[in-house]
Amino acid sequence: MKTEHDVSREMQNAFVDGELDRSDWGRIAEQLGRDESLRAEVCEIRTVKDLVRGAYAAPPQAPRLSVAGGRRWTAIAALCLVSAGAGWLLHTAFAPGVSETEAALAEGASLREVSNERVVLHVSSSRRATLQTALDDVEEVLRAAAQRGRRIEIEIVANSSGLELLRAEISPFPARIASLRAQYSNLTLVACNQTIDRLREKGVTVLLLPGVQIAPTALDQIVKRLQSGWAYVRA
Amino acid sequence: MRITIPFGLPGQFRRNLEGCRGSLYKLAYSWCHDAALADDLVQETLLRALDRSEQLRELARLKGWLCSILANCLRDHYRRVRALVDLEELDETVLAHDETPEVAHTSTQLVSRVRAEVGRLPLGQRQVLTLVDLEGCSYAEVAEILTVPIGTVMSRLCRARATLKERLLDEAPGSAERDNANKIRIVR
Repeated sequence: MKTEHDVSREMQNAFVDGELDRSDWGRIAEQLGRDESLRAEVCEIRTVKDLVRGAYAAPPQAPRLSVAGGRRWTAIAALCLVSAGAGWLLHTAFAPGVSETEAALAEGASLREVSNERVVLHVSSSRRATLQTALDDVEEVLRAAAQRGRRIEIEIVANSSGLELLRAEISPFPARIASLRAQYSNLTLVACNQTIDRLREKGVTVLLLPGVQIAPTALDQIVKRLQSGWAYVRA
Repeated sequence: MRITIPFGLPGQFRRNLEGCRGSLYKLAYSWCHDAALADDLVQETLLRALDRSEQLRELARLKGWLCSILANCLRDHYRRVRALVDLEELDETVLAHDETPEVAHTSTQLVSRVRAEVGRLPLGQRQVLTLVDLEGCSYAEVAEILTVPIGTVMSRLCRARATLKERLLDEAPGSAERDNANKIRIVR
């Protein structure tokens, strides 16, 4: 539509979205009072904005989400409530930087320095290098703990494309995983059932490696572990 | 191997995260029009947020921070499923909708008609539009979330709304025979 005034479309949108400074806003507001075509155009923009809002006011929920989603989130919320003092507020106040504990762990030459540690390792990528590094780390930590006679538990939770790690005939490291399992009873492997379902919906037959357990969702499992005091590691 | 301990987050952070969940889902759905995928994207976003909580410096920036994680999750998803690497191509992606615009046009369901038209917008425009209209983000916030210049935000928004106005509000040529009840009337 050809405009009869000098208020660009960008300015009209900015007016509707409250993005103008006082003087520009005043100028357009004043012009709106006497320019019918400008008024009509601004009104249309508002209408479009309202339509978009209305169209997504109540988006359809994923089948599982409506039931389990709330519970899952409540679990995360409960988990976060278990506040352990040091972290957030402190390092926000003294930003930049992370808390000493976190920094020590993040540099994390290893988990070996953490006593009585239980770790959930979340794998959500099928990148070979990522999986390789994850398994290297797991093996190193398990071996070091065994040498020192220190009890440690590691659980690998795989979802999304990371599930490939635990799939028979797909996993790039089946023999290595089998040998780790045979050697360390304190290593558990968990597959996300939601990912399995999604693959099945696409007609993919999902076979898991021997000994792999199944959790309803990766998030459920991770939250469950965090609630019991496990540390969370992302591969 | 990075380790994060998501304990020690104060109540305010938790409450804010909790409060963002619904609107994140809404936003994710508006971007992909797939409830299961939107659910996955929000899950992934929350997990990444927990994992990287130390990256957030101010609680006031939580919403924008989560939106940018969500945008990255969607981008990663598209890269995975389509092996798309070209970001410009990604920005031009439109959604296949169950209802074609023509069917939706004759539908009495205004909501599905609007959604169908929003889905026909290129992803780049769709994201800007929904961040502004659903999330109430400022143009500067949108620019930061999508890592595009603010001028791009304004031009995409302008084009998105002009297209929607044309398809939803203007009388299309040859549509006189269509059911008038389906027309959206503007009261001026």
